[in-house]
Amino acid sequence: MKNFSNLNEVNDKILKIKQLLTELETQAEQFPALSRNSKRALASIKMLELNLTDIVAFDLNDS
Amino acid sequence: MSGQEYWNPVLETMPLERLKVLQFKKFKRILNWAYTRSKFHKALYDAAGLTPDDIRTFDDIKKIPKVEKSMMRGIQNKDPFPYGDALCVPLEEVSAFRQTSGTTGQPVYQPDTWQDWEWWSECWSFVLWAQGYRPKDRVFIPFGYNIFVAFWAGHYAAEKLGCEVVPGGVLDTQSRILKIQELNATAMMATPTYVLRMADVAKNKMGIDPATLSINKITCAGEPGAGIPSTKKRMEDAWGAKVFDHSGATEIGAWSYECNKQPCGMHVNEAMFLVEIEDLNTGEIIEEPGRKGKMIITALDRTAQPCIRFDSKDVIEWDSQPCSCGRSFRLIRGGVIGRADDITKVKGVLLSPGSIEEVVRSIDGLGDEFEVIVDKQGDIDRIKLKVELMPEVTKLSIETTLKDQLRLKTNLGYQIEYYDYGSLPRYEVKAKRFKDLRKKDIEKECRL
Repeated sequence: MKNFSNLNEVNDKILKIKQLLTELETQAEQFPALSRNSKRALASIKMLELNLTDIVAFDLNDS
Repeated sequence: MSGQEYWNPVLETMPLERLKVLQFKKFKRILNWAYTRSKFHKALYDAAGLTPDDIRTFDDIKKIPKVEKSMMRGIQNKDPFPYGDALCVPLEEVSAFRQTSGTTGQPVYQPDTWQDWEWWSECWSFVLWAQGYRPKDRVFIPFGYNIFVAFWAGHYAAEKLGCEVVPGGVLDTQSRILKIQELNATAMMATPTYVLRMADVAKNKMGIDPATLSINKITCAGEPGAGIPSTKKRMEDAWGAKVFDHSGATEIGAWSYECNKQPCGMHVNEAMFLVEIEDLNTGEIIEEPGRKGKMIITALDRTAQPCIRFDSKDVIEWDSQPCSCGRSFRLIRGGVIGRADDITKVKGVLLSPGSIEEVVRSIDGLGDEFEVIVDKQGDIDRIKLKVELMPEVTKLSIETTLKDQLRLKTNLGYQIEYYDYGSLPRYEVKAKRFKDLRKKDIEKECRL
């Protein structure tokens, strides 16, 4: 990522990935390899949220 | 803003006022999480007449009751087995078990979900990045991978950074040194006690000067040694490497770290943790730098068994100076200075075991190991200090310096016993060098 200036745009991407993975996890209950890996990926997405989404959601970005 | 310097260039340089807003909002989030999911937390806050809605300002946070380690032990007798009712997730969500070492009593079990493990390694990623770990590093971890959290998260964080990790699990000390040599490992993580022990074994049993090995940075945890200047110097001289302090705990997480500027202190990760310092006597929250108190800490994002206003007993103080690294995360001066339950009165004088370590390790003619025993002779407190003389060093050559320095740094006189090099007990993980036998006498009296 070259530019941090628009955290909102970055955050939108994080939330889209989260939404897709959440859907995948719930739709794939009969397919453990998909649901469990999606769940695990969501834990990583949570780290993106802690690193960036919270800044946007709590309106702490000065850019 | 440079992505090369900081793991998170936004959070780590965020002005303190905004960090406090972040902390407050995250505090409310974790408080609400715990209140609605854990019987333990709900009962605790209900008993204090508080709900999360009552926390409206940052100052309100101190109204929330503290959690003591002894309370966590009590919780474990309840369902669900084996964690008890502080658990905030279904048992099937728990993916990792760890427990405290039991240094201060019965061990406390710690459940974590996979997300919590991601969080653990995220917190450690702040630590390692600040200390200069990069993908080119080959990291050797001489740690007995087991039920203790120790360097597990450091391992995962190093992997996350892109480093190559060599788990030095069940190898003995000599095999570990040979493996470092064989693989040209560039970094290592261990307790200060074990860093010195490895150097001693390499030099005196294997004829290998550890400074000639390829290790260029070492991250310490588990004990305060890397924050004690003389101990840090011994480690750095022995290994020819930069030694960094870091502090974390099983129930808390990896909450602070020394950056590569080595500012004689540690940054508190104020994006992930809320640290409050409480006056040891009055209980008031200390905001200003330079006043020691005990740490009350909240892990703002830990979910399975939340850590909210945990009374850590660690003694710390805010530093008045910012760090030249540019991080806005505040520094605690000298790292963790000691533990509130280790700081004891001897002959009416407050004594911290760390100050004795600082003196012993600053004298070249003394070995790394020492032992302090406090007891009573009649009604009078007595401190015995056992030290090792390095080969070819005489007691006469150092005794005056040792006594003077001890008097200067601790205001106390000692009965000093000198031992040959290698005679005192060696430790591989956490050392037990301070024994207060007066406490045992009191306990005995209570039992009778």
